[in-house]
Amino acid sequence: MNTPYKFKLKFPSDLDYIPPIRKFIAETLTVTQFTPKFAYRSEVIVDEICHNAIVHGSRSLNAEIELECEIYPDKFEFRVKDEGGKKEDLEKLKSVVKKSDVSALGLSEGNENRGLGLEIVRLLSEEIDMEIGENNKTTVRVVRKREDF
Amino acid sequence: MSVKIEKEQIKDKPELLLWKIAGSLGTESINDISSKFEEIINQNYKFLIAEMSNVNFISSAALGQFMGCRQMLVEKGGDMVFSGVNLDIKTKLSAMGALKIFKFYNELRTAINAYEWEVEKKPEKVYLSFPPELKFVPAVRQMVSRIAKQKGYSQRDAFRIETIVDEICNNAVEHGSVDQKKNIEATVIIGKEKIELEVVNTSDPNKIEHLKEISNSLKTLSPKHDERRGRGLALIKMLSNKLDINFSGDGTSVHVTKLREE
Repeated sequence: MNTPYKFKLKFPSDLDYIPPIRKFIAETLTVTQFTPKFAYRSEVIVDEICHNAIVHGSRSLNAEIELECEIYPDKFEFRVKDEGGKKEDLEKLKSVVKKSDVSALGLSEGNENRGLGLEIVRLLSEEIDMEIGENNKTTVRVVRKREDF
Repeated sequence: MSVKIEKEQIKDKPELLLWKIAGSLGTESINDISSKFEEIINQNYKFLIAEMSNVNFISSAALGQFMGCRQMLVEKGGDMVFSGVNLDIKTKLSAMGALKIFKFYNELRTAINAYEWEVEKKPEKVYLSFPPELKFVPAVRQMVSRIAKQKGYSQRDAFRIETIVDEICNNAVEHGSVDQKKNIEATVIIGKEKIELEVVNTSDPNKIEHLKEISNSLKTLSPKHDERRGRGLALIKMLSNKLDINFSGDGTSVHVTKLREE
């Protein structure tokens, strides 16, 4: 098994950091011979997962987000860790990660945009799962396989 | 539906107050706004965040009242900002010219972060660990440059920062140990007035003495080494305000401080 390239990032839980971080991921994928299309779709996924982590997964003022990724020749895997959101948000997240039905997030209540991000992630990736650790620390893991083999 | 304004003190920030506003900010709400504001204007508060995610309507009269509140805070050296305003209300406020006067933040956390950045001048830290290969350096330097621009640094400042990052990271890769292949670790501490960069790598033991020589030569006016070597470090020294290189064990750590110029 080839040794993957490993990256780790820690940054403040602030939406301002998402554009530079997602572009960094896309650019590293491009230099490791993934196509621009793959890189851009991965950028979209990173954007959505990080956005969720910041908006719904950060309870304290000085919260940080941690992103770890491995780039293999045939796939890209990353994990985003946050300090965990409110119990009801975690339940909703679990439900959407398990199901493919966006109505899990109560679209009928006028929250049409809620859940759309994770549906986009599901559409563009091969695996998505989440783990809730101690004190509700949440890790969302996504795997994308190379598309142009 | 009447308006409800709850005030909340933010921990460790004695000059900052949060108003959690809910309901309809119709014309009838201006007395509520006024009386709530009277309570705080005579205390030490200079900065006010109006959290509006539960507001369903705002009238021009209420906006006018907020403008008056803001003006009084500005006269004390403070400010008033909004957070969590939904798109419909923001569109209406835009039509009323409010975007030219008030700052708007998508959510409360961002508003508080902005306060910490602007008023407390609190720096923010980003950590990155990446494989020691030259092909990753452009992405690293561009990320740091984009972060600087996102935080309000000028294009010129951001480009100089990018140059510094490029040189330090290239050195870390080129002089790094080919055997260990341990990731390079970069820490960026960015504040309103300066940026600090630290890059740590595992050095090639065959190159450490040469590195020390270059580092020492930077402290004198006339370097004795080959002119082509050491230009990168000399460039970093020209572009930054402080440069420290430390050699410990098998690791090299380069620490750079650059003051914001523009």
